[in-house]
Amino acid sequence: MKKVAYYKGCLASLSAKELDFATQALAPKVGLELIELESVTCCGAGDIHEAEPDYYLHLNARILSYAAAEGVDTLLTVCNVCTLNLRQANFVLMGDSEVRARVNENLVSVGVPAYERDVDVRHLLWEIADGEGYELLKSAAHRGLKGLKVAPFYGCQILRPSKINGFEDPDQPWSLERIIEACGGEAIDYPAKIKCCGFPIIQAREETALGELIQPIEQAYEAGADAIVTPCPLCHLSLDAWQSKLKAATGRDFKMPILHLSQLVGVAAGVEEAELKFKRHVVSMKPVIEKLQI
Amino acid sequence: MQVGLKIWRFNSRSGERELQEFEIDAPEEATLLDCLDIVKDRHDGSLAYRKSCRMMICGSCGMRMDGAAVLACKVRMYDVAQEGRVPVISAMGNLPIVKDLVVDMDPFWDKFRSVDPYLQPGYQEPPDGREHLIRQERMNVIHKEALCINCGLCVSECNSMESDPRFVGPQALAKAMRFVGDPRDGQKLARLEKLNGEHGIWQCTRCYFCNERCPKGVDPRDAIAKLGAESIKEGIDRDMGAKHAKWFVTSAKTTGWLRETELVPKTQGVVAAIKQTKFALDLAVKGKVPPPFPPHVAKDVREARRLYDLTVRESSDRRGYDGIVQGEHALARLAHGHSGEETLEQIYDRPDAFHRPYLPDDAA
Repeated sequence: MKKVAYYKGCLASLSAKELDFATQALAPKVGLELIELESVTCCGAGDIHEAEPDYYLHLNARILSYAAAEGVDTLLTVCNVCTLNLRQANFVLMGDSEVRARVNENLVSVGVPAYERDVDVRHLLWEIADGEGYELLKSAAHRGLKGLKVAPFYGCQILRPSKINGFEDPDQPWSLERIIEACGGEAIDYPAKIKCCGFPIIQAREETALGELIQPIEQAYEAGADAIVTPCPLCHLSLDAWQSKLKAATGRDFKMPILHLSQLVGVAAGVEEAELKFKRHVVSMKPVIEKLQI
Repeated sequence: MQVGLKIWRFNSRSGERELQEFEIDAPEEATLLDCLDIVKDRHDGSLAYRKSCRMMICGSCGMRMDGAAVLACKVRMYDVAQEGRVPVISAMGNLPIVKDLVVDMDPFWDKFRSVDPYLQPGYQEPPDGREHLIRQERMNVIHKEALCINCGLCVSECNSMESDPRFVGPQALAKAMRFVGDPRDGQKLARLEKLNGEHGIWQCTRCYFCNERCPKGVDPRDAIAKLGAESIKEGIDRDMGAKHAKWFVTSAKTTGWLRETELVPKTQGVVAAIKQTKFALDLAVKGKVPPPFPPHVAKDVREARRLYDLTVRESSDRRGYDGIVQGEHALARLAHGHSGEETLEQIYDRPDAFHRPYLPDDAA
């Protein structure tokens, strides 16, 4: 078992609790022992970076510091936005000793341990797409996906900027496809899989966001996908919950089921449906459940 | 070496499109632009593309290779040829195609002009006729933005502009930051007001394609974040995007976690939020609208509150964008492929290092 600090972020704590349930149930099957961080806050989701960037850096330094205090080398995330925010802050802190000294002085003054040791922020996707995690995934995914046609949707902030994320080629990613196939599904290819779901502006500029959101759903639908899988709960929320608004705006009802990565792998690994909480999705998961006979 | 290219030809008069394949002989050091020159010289003189400097500074030869915007003069073809790949070359996105690989840049220049991309001086000349000097740190604020060569690669890939072509876009906004952050400019507030318009900074969807594609390391998305931070610092926060961003700050310092359920009324206002009731109820049935009471409070959230006091309330002398600028040094090191803890001396001591250029700081 590899011990990792687990940062679930806002959505998996709140509206996307099903992601947390599935991740906790799945983790031991892919060799991960999750140490859930308690004294942590929101990473700022890019919004605090844009509103109060110095506060953003301090909040993320605090999260990293509490992860380091657990004595682990890896901080595990299940959200693209958390991944980018934490990795970016980590590179700033580790790459500039002056900035780190100033932030640490502030952390210590409020009772947080200074952050001195480089903790590697890694998304669950990266843990199970390669190396030991992938080997364990292959043996864990015994129940398979019965040839389910799954469209991978990466979302933006796990691919770009690649100088900060750096796990795979941001234009030719392979990790989700590899996992889908290891789980016994069929990966569907379509151009919009690396594009934006529109979520960051879905409230402030809904029309623009819907114009982005329709692309992956329409393309996956036309390519014959049974479902879309995404490693990001924000992408999940817009792809799942805002489909009704796409219907209102365009008249097209795609009824496309959207899976969290942990759910997809969880299903293949035989994690009980109850733990996966499909009922919490807005778009019905019934066609997927029927096809998988679960 | 043998290089294969598939080029999308386009005739805007007839609307005809055709994917044409070429197999050419090129020297091993050839760039994509060199290869296009060879195609045009020896195979098909009717091929149209833009070029000028051939050395990554004029920004003329933007186009797409396998769907990703590149400067043709920056891409070496050796590895591609070795792998036996035959890349597809096409015109940039988000701009109308005139012919083959040539796009109409007029919409690009219109947006560029719309941000008043020139200095509007707002400083006092020293009375004794001496030079008006500015500290290096003040100019570091816009160091990255000043590197923009107006090639349009960021605009080509902008997901927000693809959805709404009225979005001012990454290049114009990066240039806008170049003047907003310039200590000699006197129109900062007027500029920020304008940039907070319907199709300004808050229409950015944070897809980060601009940062990924920029051949000069400008990182337009980060420039847009700097403009957002500076707008909020100056109290220009009426846009829903600004309110959305501020609500995350409020959430972090009060409960630690995002107060999701209150986000919609805080962003869009109560009236607009009520219009969303049906949508919200559909989500609530699925447990996607967590009740605001009792709030989900992070352990030791007092620490996060105190950090807010230290970094925001008690740091009113810092400019909004300073919090982003302070990280650029470390992130630039990341882009240049080393760990970050090396000093410049250590980097120039590497066996494969370039000769160290003269820097004005050396004299000091």
